[in-house]
Amino acid sequence: MGHLSRREMLQASAAGVAGVAATALPGSVSLASAPSQDNVTLRYQVAWPSDYEAVLAAYSEARPNVTLEIISVTGTDHQEVATKILASLAAGTPIDIGFACTEATQLYAGEGLAAPLKDRLLDNADDFKEYFADISPVLSETMLFEGEYYQLMVDWNAANMFLNVNLLNEAGLEVPEETWTLEDFVGYARAMTGLGEAGDSFGFAWPNRLWGGWMPWIFVNETNILTEERAPGGEWFWDTFYADDPKAEGRGGGYRWPEPQANNPAVVEALEFVVSMTAEGVAPTAELGFSENMAGFFTNNKIGMYPAGGFFTGFLLENGMEMGDFDVQYWPKWASQRHQLGVCGPWLFNGGANEDLAWDFANFSKQREVMELLAFFSGTTRTTPIRRSMNNAERFANTGPANWHVFYGTADERPDTGPIPAPVFSVELSNIFTRYTSLAVSQERSPQEALDGMQAELEDLYARNA
Amino acid sequence: MASETTLGSGRRNWLPAWLAGDTVQGIRRQRMVLGVLFLLPTLIGLIVFVLAPIVVAVALGFMKWNVFRPPEFYGLKNFTRLFQHELVGNSFSNTFVMMAMTVGMLEVFAISLALSVHRFARSRLAYIFRTVWFLPVLLSGVSVAVTLSYLFHTDFGVVNYYLGVLGIDKVPWLVSSDIVRFSVSLATVWRNLGFTFIIYLGGVSALPQEILEAATVDGARGLKRLWLITLPLLSPTILFATVIDVIRLLQFFDEPYVMTRGGPGDSSRTTVMMVYDTAFANLEFGYASSISVILFLIILAVTGFQFLLSKRWVFYQ
Repeated sequence: MGHLSRREMLQASAAGVAGVAATALPGSVSLASAPSQDNVTLRYQVAWPSDYEAVLAAYSEARPNVTLEIISVTGTDHQEVATKILASLAAGTPIDIGFACTEATQLYAGEGLAAPLKDRLLDNADDFKEYFADISPVLSETMLFEGEYYQLMVDWNAANMFLNVNLLNEAGLEVPEETWTLEDFVGYARAMTGLGEAGDSFGFAWPNRLWGGWMPWIFVNETNILTEERAPGGEWFWDTFYADDPKAEGRGGGYRWPEPQANNPAVVEALEFVVSMTAEGVAPTAELGFSENMAGFFTNNKIGMYPAGGFFTGFLLENGMEMGDFDVQYWPKWASQRHQLGVCGPWLFNGGANEDLAWDFANFSKQREVMELLAFFSGTTRTTPIRRSMNNAERFANTGPANWHVFYGTADERPDTGPIPAPVFSVELSNIFTRYTSLAVSQERSPQEALDGMQAELEDLYARNA
Repeated sequence: MASETTLGSGRRNWLPAWLAGDTVQGIRRQRMVLGVLFLLPTLIGLIVFVLAPIVVAVALGFMKWNVFRPPEFYGLKNFTRLFQHELVGNSFSNTFVMMAMTVGMLEVFAISLALSVHRFARSRLAYIFRTVWFLPVLLSGVSVAVTLSYLFHTDFGVVNYYLGVLGIDKVPWLVSSDIVRFSVSLATVWRNLGFTFIIYLGGVSALPQEILEAATVDGARGLKRLWLITLPLLSPTILFATVIDVIRLLQFFDEPYVMTRGGPGDSSRTTVMMVYDTAFANLEFGYASSISVILFLIILAVTGFQFLLSKRWVFYQ
């Protein structure tokens, strides 16, 4: 067989994508309603358009009259993405479908931007029973807001503890047990500090941000910077989709965070703990602008442990680590082993001209066969699939980590796990959180003083948004 | 005698009567209309992209608007709030401190470089120096800031590594309120030096050689010649460069946003960052507009003050 020219290769690739899409369609993929025959353009906001190529091709097969225009919005974290989407909306750029994570779920729902999906879900309840049966109620609950439901989840991540196996080996340690404690963690961190040829490794590092910063320590200390309660309502959802699931019992109409409590003693204790790690030289200083890039130092064996979710697997492999160089474990137990998480999925623009069609696409995309077409779930897994059935040994067989079951286990085995605090004004909340954290980690204010300042600003924030 | 001199007839019948007459007045009118037509693209651009945004920003300053709901008139509340808002005052203070440090370093380094490179004006080295020093200007501010963040990192940064080799303790470049503004200014100087340098190189190249030679003959050398002859001759260029740099740097954003997000705390938060966060994180577009209006007025006042002061120290030949 002769060599393919570049043009032929591109043609073949395109045909391949279409082929994959076509094979995914017959029998396995269903469409809820009869399509309109008019030509329509749907505007869908996602981070990386290339992740959706195969899904779009599959949808085009089913709906040849629909053009999906992808609007790319990226950011260092979901909070920054939400900020950019708001900027885009303010500039008058309309979208039909947005993609949001916990950081912005209540923002879009609370401001009436996202369409409530209760009626649509109940109208298609039989179809959706399969979808929700494959998803932990811990995750579904985060998509409820004041008794209504807003997003069809695609992926999620809880902050687990990633371990650098190279440094573990050098320190003569094994991957810790699932029920390891805070004291075990400190021992591990100390043992992995000062290793490597230059003797400059740190046992632990963390980024200064809301999700996966020092928030996991707050959660395992059985507290939160905001008081947490469940909104009433949501019975329609739990009775329809989780009637037989004991882990769904006691859940309500979504999370509420009625007031700030940033300076309560348990939160102060958590901040004192992470600051003491830096003071002791076991953790580097978590810098505000730079912290997102701290993860890169994990790959060159400068960091022993780092808070991250399933998405970190793809990051580590793409940045030079190989299977076996890293592993993952649950967050160590302190007062509890409650984890913090964030869940992502598409939302529909409320009252938009194409809302029905947007629902059609979101409904189409929630099917397992379609989800498998997403680039971040094929090849190297770059985030945790929302469907339990997609988190399997086959997925991680060639990449690791060995403890891959921890990813979904965080929801299934630790059902007290909950979302990061993300009320309607979560973007501003996140800024306040990171600003005062930076004052404490730079040791310019004591943890108590920093959290007193945080509390005062949060009280002001709540008063303005009352 | 006719009131209008006839210059020709019958060639512009398609024009309206007031414009078509082949008279002196008709031709004047035609020239005026033609002038307006030529100016129209620029005028439209000016109105759409400059005047209208300014008017909208000022108007929004008197509104309450969060994108989701229609704007509502809010009177002077945004303006009274910003004068009582500690964070806003702090952001203006940071902006002025960083602007002063950055402009100071920029002008001194750029003048020194320009005078040095000018010595090689007839050599091929001049092309190399000009190119090398201008290259950072072509880089994106964000890329530069990310790279410099790595260099300045307290624990992993190259800068502290080499300081360590020299026996100097780690410097918390980006995590100390006392140092962070200097670090960010340094990063900004590195990226912008080429632009200011090119302005000064042009100024130095245009200095009248006969005056410089006469000063040398009269015994003015070294720093004395620089202080008494070169710098006064260069003063119009210094005015131009400082005005441009002050205006740009009062709108500081890229470097502090990427390198520190305004931290630690608010010690490197600039006014434009404050505007950005207020608008897009806090969803207070009216309040953000009011801050930007005040910033606009301050820039206008500072520039006016610079020109006013220039009468005392700028020498035009």
